[in-house]
Amino acid sequence: MVELGLLSLRLAFIGGLYAVLSALYGARARRPAYVRSARHAAYAVHALVAAAVLVLLRALVTRDFSLEYVASYSSSTLSLPYTIAALWGGQAGSLLFWVFILTTMSTVVQLQNRERNAALMPYVTATSMTIAVFFLALLVFVTSPFERLPVPAAEGADLNPLLQNYWMLIHPPSLYLGYVGCTVPFAFAVAALVTGRLGDVWIRTTRRWTLFAWFFLTLGNIVGARWAYEELGWGGYWAWDPVENAAFMPWLSCTAFLHSVMIQEKKNMLKMWNMVLVLLTFCLTIFGTFLTRSGVVSSVHSFTQSGLGPFFVAFLLGVIAIVSALVVWRRPLLRGENEIDSFLSREASFLFNNLLLVGIAFATFWGTIFPVISEAVRGIKITVGPPFFNKVNAPLGLALLFMTGVGPVIAWRRASARNLRRSFTMPLAVGFVIGVVIFAAGWRNYYAVVCFSLAAFVLATIFMEFYRGTRARQALMGEAAPRALANLVGKNRRRYGGYVIHVGVAMVFVGVAASSAFRLEEQETLSKGGVVQVGAFTLTYAGIHFTDNPHYSSMLAEIAVAKNGTPVGTFFPEKRFYKKQQQPSTEVALRSTLTEDLYLVLGSYDDASGLMTMIVFVNPLVNWLWIGGLVMILGTVIVMSPTAAEQRALAAALAVEERGLEAALR
Amino acid sequence: MKDATQTEIEEALTCQCGCGLTVHSCNHVQCPSSIPLKKEIAEQLAAGKTRTEVLTHFSTKYGEKILSAPTTAGFNLVAWVTPFAAVLAAGAVIVVVSRRWRRAPAAPPPSTPAAADDARRARLEAELDRFDA
Repeated sequence: MVELGLLSLRLAFIGGLYAVLSALYGARARRPAYVRSARHAAYAVHALVAAAVLVLLRALVTRDFSLEYVASYSSSTLSLPYTIAALWGGQAGSLLFWVFILTTMSTVVQLQNRERNAALMPYVTATSMTIAVFFLALLVFVTSPFERLPVPAAEGADLNPLLQNYWMLIHPPSLYLGYVGCTVPFAFAVAALVTGRLGDVWIRTTRRWTLFAWFFLTLGNIVGARWAYEELGWGGYWAWDPVENAAFMPWLSCTAFLHSVMIQEKKNMLKMWNMVLVLLTFCLTIFGTFLTRSGVVSSVHSFTQSGLGPFFVAFLLGVIAIVSALVVWRRPLLRGENEIDSFLSREASFLFNNLLLVGIAFATFWGTIFPVISEAVRGIKITVGPPFFNKVNAPLGLALLFMTGVGPVIAWRRASARNLRRSFTMPLAVGFVIGVVIFAAGWRNYYAVVCFSLAAFVLATIFMEFYRGTRARQALMGEAAPRALANLVGKNRRRYGGYVIHVGVAMVFVGVAASSAFRLEEQETLSKGGVVQVGAFTLTYAGIHFTDNPHYSSMLAEIAVAKNGTPVGTFFPEKRFYKKQQQPSTEVALRSTLTEDLYLVLGSYDDASGLMTMIVFVNPLVNWLWIGGLVMILGTVIVMSPTAAEQRALAAALAVEERGLEAALR
Repeated sequence: MKDATQTEIEEALTCQCGCGLTVHSCNHVQCPSSIPLKKEIAEQLAAGKTRTEVLTHFSTKYGEKILSAPTTAGFNLVAWVTPFAAVLAAGAVIVVVSRRWRRAPAAPPPSTPAAADDARRARLEAELDRFDA
């Protein structure tokens, strides 16, 4: 069975190479049969990789500990969901899972474009298969998931306890879908560069794919933060760890692209810049994988490390060299009709929004690699930790929040005094009043005051848009308010879905600002019956419980909680000890409400003295971070849902392209 | 309640156990690094040292690596300045480039008759109003 997996990967590698060469030859020599053959080869690669995934899954589920991978990342007592998750819990498996997603997407793209984009598709196939071949080469020659142990192990070493959390089932797959989703626009971008077809078509064809990638990058980041919040037990959710940064940076550049591409669609501007952003986003996904896999910078999340670094660096440099050459070669075709009438215009405001998004990405990148730079220049290793990123990114982030309010409502070309008054008087007043009120209420954390004030400003601009739009429909169409609102959104999903995403963004900012500025924290050592007061909460330690199962043993502290004197329940912060990995793991107890989270961590328990140490956090408004994340996801679904108008725009763009093609052939 | 300076210093130091968090955030049971470090901070403060003196003590004893953010002196300034310098420089580029874009090649020079401009603006306003409605 395992031999079948090995064979599949080898054949997939060869098939991938064939697909690349055949697609390129077919396109160059104008021999459609070769292009078709390349497409079929890509399908075959997909099927072979799927077979390899099934073989590995079968080995995991049947507990075949003769395989090194299975013995290293699972055990006989690991539950079925986590056994399946072990597929992406280790290095070779996660690379395999990656190629599987990549080849699946490649197949979907091929099927979508069987009848169109005939000129671009050979190069799309060649690009995606080149990437697949790189990953397959690693799997075949460097780190095989089908390596046999010299002597089969009697028992597996088990999955890292930190990974035994249900978010583990969602976080890595969604991040991978996001990462790999960025490959599709990248492949089309390369194809557009090679063929010189740099018009609207490639952008419109890949729009939904870019949104798809963005959807999963957003989900992956939010769920990853939630995982850290629940599993790491330090009261926070984001530590600017290199691997977190690796997931954040492509999200930022992808966000920048989704905004600036609107300027290209509407005004045929910024063609070069959009091209650069698509290429950059892909490079950042590869850089992210490199950071996770190489161990160049230490991280809590690189659960698997190895010598893959040099391969990724070589691949990344190769990609950068090729796409840079392509961009320079096609520079004349990337000149748009750039025109900016005024800095008070939507075009200009989108430029500044892009500046900030890419600026934050750069600051994050810079902080992540600075230890390496420092070591190279001064020979001294230094640490660039959370305080650096918070200080540098907070002002940039607040400026971005401001632009979130300005960008969508300021007029195109040149905002008149009237437009500015109409759009911003009320929101600015709301933001100002909120700022003054919370300052008067005694808040002295200036970042938090500014953040709340700006969030109120953003929400007010969006509220006005919905309100005015709904009112207009009520007046013009005679629709009742709820129906008018539904139609308003339904008929212009990109615009209003975008607003919904912005509402989510404002919520995330509020949650982050409040929970970092006003967090309460207390570490207490109590004996049975002991009481501690943290903020409005009174916590009584009622005793300790022990449980045991073959997989882990655990102890749970029983904590009775009252808020302002009213009992609100009993909570059980838990400490587990995973037997096979010989590692402890924290299971926090959470009381989550819209106003605050009570977050309990069991620190330690001493049998002899009966003393229990517990860390208590009160994180105000932190729930809005997760709710905001969900709202962003919901908004993306609205934006992504297809509309007839958009299909027409793509069809029209394709028709123009086809006419051009016919004219060229004649 | 812990002393605010103690917390501040704990935040300014990185735990060496490999968790990647600050000494303050690390919550490993019997952490071989953060627990002794917390104790050492308390001792230093009890000896009457200021925040800066305590941090100097730690960076001389354990190396600069222990500080959770780069210092603001010497080469480390590059870490702090570069992101802002880059954003400002790119912002300046945007300003310069969009000034140039204002004079579109095919469009008439800036000396467009005011009337035409006004007419265009009026049309724009009208369209915008329709758009808003």
